[in-house]
Amino acid sequence: MTFKERLRTFRWWHELGLVILIIGLLAVAGTLMPRFLDLKSQLLLSRHIWEMAILALAITLIIITGGIDLSVGAAMGLCAVAFGMTFQYTGSLVLSCVAAMLTGGLGGAVNGALISKIKVHPLIVTLATYAAFRGIAEGLSQGVSYSQFGEEFSQIARGKWFGVPIPAYLFLAMAVACAVFLSKTPTGRFIYAIGHNEKAARFSGIDVDRIKFWLYASSGMLAGLATLVYVSRFDTAKADAGTGFELEIITAVVVGGTSIFGGRGNIAGTVLGLLLIHETRLFVGRYWQMDELKSIIIGALLIASILLYRILSPKKGRE
Amino acid sequence: MPPFIRVSGLSKSYGGVHALKRVCMDIAKGEIHALCGENGAGKSTLIKSLTGVVIPEEGTISIDGKPLPPGNVQASEAAGIAVIHQESTAFPSLNTLDNIFVGREPFTAGGLFLDKARMRGEATKMLKRLGQNFDIDCPVIELSVAQRQMVAMARALSQKCEFLILDEPTASLSAKETDSLLAIVRQLRNEGVTILYVSHRLEEIFEIADRVTVLRDGERVDTQSVANLNRSALIFLMVGRELEELTQRHEHAGEPGEVRLEVLGLTNPGVFENIDLRIQAGEIVGLAGLVGAGRSEIARAIFGLDRYSKGKVKVNGQMLTGGSVKQAMSAGLSLVPEDRQHEGLILPMSVGANLSMAVLGKLTNRGLVDPRLERDLVEKLMSDLLIKAASQEFPAETLSGGNQQKLVIGKWIAAKPQVLILDEPTRGVDIAAKAQVHRLIRNLASKGLATLIISSDMNEVLSISDRIIVMREGRISGEIRGREATRELVLDLALPQEKEVLA
Amino acid sequence: MNFMSRLLRQREYGLTAVILIIGASVAFIDTGFLAAGNLKDLIIRCAPTAIVACGVMLVVLTGEIDISVGSLMALLAALMGMMISETRMEISMWLGLPATLLLGTLVGAFTGALVTLGKVPSIIVTLGLLTALRGLTTLIMGGNNIDGLPDGLGQMTKYGVLGMPISVWTAIAVIIVTGVIITKTALGRRLFAVGSSRYSAKMVGLNETRLKLFAFAYTGFLTGLATVVDVPRLPKIEAGIGIGFELLVITCVVVGGVSISGGRGKLRGVLLAVLLMTMIRPALTFMDVGESGEKWTRAIQGMFILLAVITDSIVQRRRKRRLHDL
Repeated sequence: MTFKERLRTFRWWHELGLVILIIGLLAVAGTLMPRFLDLKSQLLLSRHIWEMAILALAITLIIITGGIDLSVGAAMGLCAVAFGMTFQYTGSLVLSCVAAMLTGGLGGAVNGALISKIKVHPLIVTLATYAAFRGIAEGLSQGVSYSQFGEEFSQIARGKWFGVPIPAYLFLAMAVACAVFLSKTPTGRFIYAIGHNEKAARFSGIDVDRIKFWLYASSGMLAGLATLVYVSRFDTAKADAGTGFELEIITAVVVGGTSIFGGRGNIAGTVLGLLLIHETRLFVGRYWQMDELKSIIIGALLIASILLYRILSPKKGRE
Repeated sequence: MPPFIRVSGLSKSYGGVHALKRVCMDIAKGEIHALCGENGAGKSTLIKSLTGVVIPEEGTISIDGKPLPPGNVQASEAAGIAVIHQESTAFPSLNTLDNIFVGREPFTAGGLFLDKARMRGEATKMLKRLGQNFDIDCPVIELSVAQRQMVAMARALSQKCEFLILDEPTASLSAKETDSLLAIVRQLRNEGVTILYVSHRLEEIFEIADRVTVLRDGERVDTQSVANLNRSALIFLMVGRELEELTQRHEHAGEPGEVRLEVLGLTNPGVFENIDLRIQAGEIVGLAGLVGAGRSEIARAIFGLDRYSKGKVKVNGQMLTGGSVKQAMSAGLSLVPEDRQHEGLILPMSVGANLSMAVLGKLTNRGLVDPRLERDLVEKLMSDLLIKAASQEFPAETLSGGNQQKLVIGKWIAAKPQVLILDEPTRGVDIAAKAQVHRLIRNLASKGLATLIISSDMNEVLSISDRIIVMREGRISGEIRGREATRELVLDLALPQEKEVLA
Repeated sequence: MNFMSRLLRQREYGLTAVILIIGASVAFIDTGFLAAGNLKDLIIRCAPTAIVACGVMLVVLTGEIDISVGSLMALLAALMGMMISETRMEISMWLGLPATLLLGTLVGAFTGALVTLGKVPSIIVTLGLLTALRGLTTLIMGGNNIDGLPDGLGQMTKYGVLGMPISVWTAIAVIIVTGVIITKTALGRRLFAVGSSRYSAKMVGLNETRLKLFAFAYTGFLTGLATVVDVPRLPKIEAGIGIGFELLVITCVVVGGVSISGGRGKLRGVLLAVLLMTMIRPALTFMDVGESGEKWTRAIQGMFILLAVITDSIVQRRRKRRLHDL
């Protein structure tokens, strides 16, 4: 292969671009605020990203199939309420954790069933369950917030091994598993196939409905898991858990190079997307001390990343 | 008198490949001019240049002596050029009225509101002229394909079209519908409309056209009066050499073996009823019939893509429960679907990924895809099937139509099927690739594969089948042994009986 | 067509039935639900949703989506307040209000430009704007609420003319204009056409860019209009205005029977859906389930979308089967 051909078939442009952006951002931030690059404070400030990062894995897979899940944040609210109520009635942490996971799985299964069996557009289904999950959480809990789950439980999110927060290990393990699943297993390949052309995937004997159902169900289960980390971090379970998460997660996934039309994307991109957004938020928050700027920048980043992609690769843009 | 349409020196290339090379042609006023050529010969680019969808790099087009501004859809329309595509252009969720008038609606005096009364009147008039009578308020998605084509035709007529381009108008029409379409085309010619008729179906060209222009590899080969040509001469012009294989009858090598596929009383009410099929090892069975007779639907039901209400399907003696593609595949059944672009292939994925798609589950090592197993399989298939691709890493969409078709077949041969169902295996494939596909099918049959071929191409069915089963309106109307089959015999069984009475 | 299948197929019939059933059962519990004052209040609540839904419906008809209207409303409210409040810039409201409408139209056109010229999917653009505009609003307001709007404006929006606040009259006007656009003008039919098939639309020479730009700009304009006529009713302008409004509007459009893939839908259906979605909260109040009942409003709204999409898909499937029979 000639060098030119190699350039043309090089598949990691997007990831390379992200790495450059992240390094650039860190360089600027480090120059302006030398303390910004301090590893300890970076790790400390990484606390709030792990729930989102875990969920982003499932959303990446879903978006690659050409779907979307807007309901994960709301599902967290429902899981949090399930957790809190179970704890209130039984006092058992184990049962509460199981209840949260089950609730999430069940919610995801509702999405999955409506999308794969009744064939409703995922955008609409999850928009509906977004309202429904949060609404049920509000109705059930009547605005009560549950707390005091004990020191031990809060160690899940606050504890550290070798100076690194425990949820980070959880995320890393899941990210690796997810990446291997997506790139090395037949089902992973089928997920791309579904995203490119669902009909042809069906004609190839791929059980599209089952794959989709399980993707949305696992997205719900991960919402349950993320809720545990979230509740442990705040020591509070309330119906508003995970508010606005869906947007940030989708932003990270899309910035990470996953095509919103399906068929293209990978876990490495999502991880880089998460990192870029996280560092941007940190930098903006600490340098200008203005919280409002964060949401403006995230919104703009979401639009700009696709716009840039369209401009830089006009040929691929014509879908 | 200058010609009505004059195309001179037209060139257009896509990414360095010439789609049109200095093409010149003249079309006289009031003639039916046919345009022929294999896939990729440049027909669609020529049409797109005429309608202003594509801007040619070189050359000019003039209509009635006046030059046509390049790349301007509105100007082409205003000049009276209209086109009707293979899948007739339509807005599925809108009604007939909107479909006819969208883009150039008549307005009331003020110019603000639509003149609905006039729209209604004109639409009814146009449809009457076309001999049609259906509800114009019904969304066109609920009309039949032929009716939709008539809507497109009405649209063309209502825009005072003087030059009508028909691009494969009969590709998805039944024989009866084709006949009435050809009659309408003739009537339009008599009314003074000039027509450019593009079709793969050569019989239609001989039936209807006055002259024919042949394109090959983007260049005009010849323009001839149809009266001076015969079928093989026309094919010769198109491919540049004669192809014997197409007309040659297939002689079956040995005696068929044991029964591989057995279908008993398969029924899906309103679609197909009481279908019995038996195919033995090494046998090639053709399933003939008109479009819409329910043949593809049977294939999909057997393969488990669609459900059926009654009946049994046995593959290799194993009973299938229905509704499970996985089960059908593991019993040894493969289906090469009708539409390779949308059903057969995943175009943006690589050639390799497409070829291994159906068997990927078996190419694993501890649950993970084994890249070496996969590469070996793909390489073998590509060399066995003579698939021409720059590399197995390239997306399937970069391949030509014929190679794409071989790709779909390869994908299903990889599953080592014992029964292979091919639905329109050579539709839209050029003549050379067609011959290759046929050779491949015969080769596989001689190795013991039981094959069912669904095809609307009569020559194909007649030349390749050991046995022909004909369907009419969802039922099997007869069976003919390959040697005894003739066009007339098959058509007689395929055509609806009422039509015979009417005729 | 028998009664049941008409009920399923024609969304308007189904919605009317549900509205009547809910209305009748709540009135059965407490006749106060049908009191003139309460019905008037219900209509006032419907007005801003109906105004904006007219725009979003056009966007959805072209096959796009807009989920940024809530944040846009907040931004426009903040800007309007900044301009005309007696405690801020104190610009005449005859200048400030048209400026608000213009700003709304501009943001809408900007959204449309990103979608059509920038080729960024509308779900992404408006999802991004949903956060970005909200952030911008908080930034502009700087943590303070805005009060001191001109008295005349408050009077008009609260009490209005002929016994109805100005927002209701505006809504009626917008509905008539939108209805005329949809059924009587080429523009309206072309919006349907683009949503029905982009390819065909291109082939007949329709300007997709211009049509979609219009739909988005119209939505921006209507959002401005809804802000101008409805927000001044509130005692003060807060940054939290319009949270969840985008979801309510989309819900109404979808429940009203507009196909999310474009090309199909009726204004009547959308308006009935606006009424249905708006009556849930007062209905819960009158059913005397108290505070705790109202907390279920969102859950019930979510259920209605699910119900709507499930019936829709069943109807589609039936239609397909019917086609097979032909």
